Amino acid sequence: MVVITLQRNKCIGCNYCVEMAPKQFQMSKKDGKSVLLNSTNKKGFFTLKSNQYNILEASENASKACPVKIISVKLV
Amino acid sequence: MQKIELMAPAGNFESLQAALDNGADSIYFGVEQLNMRARASINFTLDDLSEIVKRCNSKNVRTYLTLNTIIYDHDLSIVKTLINKAKEANITAVIAMDQAVIAMAREVGMEVHISTQINITNIETVKFYALFADTMVLSRELSLRQVKKITEQIEKEQIKGPSGKLIEIEIFGHGALCMAVSGKCYMSLHSHNSSANRGACKQNCRKKYTVIDQETGFEMELDNEYIMSPKDLCTIDFLDEIVNAGIKVLKIEGRGRAPEYVAKVIKCYREAIDSIQDGIYNKEEVISWMETLETVYNRGFWSGYYLGQKLGEWSKGSGSHATQKKVYIGKGNHFFPKANIGEFKIEAYNINVGDAILITGPTTGAKELLVEEMMVNDKKLNEGKKGDLVTIKLPFRIRQSDKLYKIVENKVEA
Repeated sequence: MVVITLQRNKCIGCNYCVEMAPKQFQMSKKDGKSVLLNSTNKKGFFTLKSNQYNILEASENASKACPVKIISVKLV
Repeated sequence: MQKIELMAPAGNFESLQAALDNGADSIYFGVEQLNMRARASINFTLDDLSEIVKRCNSKNVRTYLTLNTIIYDHDLSIVKTLINKAKEANITAVIAMDQAVIAMAREVGMEVHISTQINITNIETVKFYALFADTMVLSRELSLRQVKKITEQIEKEQIKGPSGKLIEIEIFGHGALCMAVSGKCYMSLHSHNSSANRGACKQNCRKKYTVIDQETGFEMELDNEYIMSPKDLCTIDFLDEIVNAGIKVLKIEGRGRAPEYVAKVIKCYREAIDSIQDGIYNKEEVISWMETLETVYNRGFWSGYYLGQKLGEWSKGSGSHATQKKVYIGKGNHFFPKANIGEFKIEAYNINVGDAILITGPTTGAKELLVEEMMVNDKKLNEGKKGDLVTIKLPFRIRQSDKLYKIVENKVEA
């Protein structure tokens, strides 16, 4: 399973995650921060668990590109 | 000679209070992610606006909201929200770089200040932005002679902003100067994907570099490997010339700095501006201010580009050359208002009679004093140790959120 986590409150809205993984991330027009699509929020940590392994590479690229290092991608 | 406005950085409530206590005429600050210190762990939030305005209004201090990053489409809605909330909270002005921010602020009737990132270097650009803004920061690369020509032309041509008053020119007075062109830089974007223009500068220009010819492997011999790290700007020794150049606002850098930095720098520049006004500005005082400024964070000082000197005075290290540093000792425990005595719990090291101490806190700001006498666990002693409750007579109130530090000498490498 691929587990992606976004610590959203620290997002500076740079948009790189969307450039790297547009299927997983979107910029919110409300507050200008990144949204991890289909994720669940637990105390500001937004998590997506998926069995679609084809999202792994793009998500890892998004994690590497994030300048504030708030995206983690794990295989469990 | 007209008195100029002293503008202080406020990265958090400690620094804000330090600025207010030491004589700032105005403060600038960022909220949320759209400011040049977006990376800072402590940034004000929208909910803090009313408290900021309340504290500043009580001292007649103007408040400026920085909204000076590059702006993407997805930011437009939050920009609008920030401007509306700033207007609602009676923030004095918005500091803007992007034309969308300027337009949105004007739409709701907010005063606009043009940020340094727009890089104004001539009178025609001043005229253009006068359609939208009352105050403009000039490019950092201008000399004082060039600044003076612009201010004289504003006066001569009666160039006025939307408020109907003459355009006010603002320049940087003290603090970090970097190799960027008036604050716009791609270096940390290229190396770390972290855009300075979104407030996420990684400061990698502050490191040591070597220059190697890739074809031959020849390494250039460098006197100083910090080839991209300028010293900090300091203008206190020619502040009379700055005032004489006709500027109206002097901006102090340092929203990422500690509250005691704000306290000391603002205090020195307040005294300097007042002494110029009173006609008593002199060399002896300049020496004493310089000594004080050297005690807090600095990379060494130079006069920037203002005096038209040879460009580039480079720092010789990655960190601060401050002559003093603070060591955490403990925290506030209680205050006895009738006797004006503060009680602290010592959590690290020790405290002695004769020590210079610093107390910081969101409401206390940054206050320094000498310990003349103290009680340790209700006994008059000369030394308090870890775990002790120490009481000290204070000329101000302390709170439980306050931190107690000892000020010690910082050995600086030459």
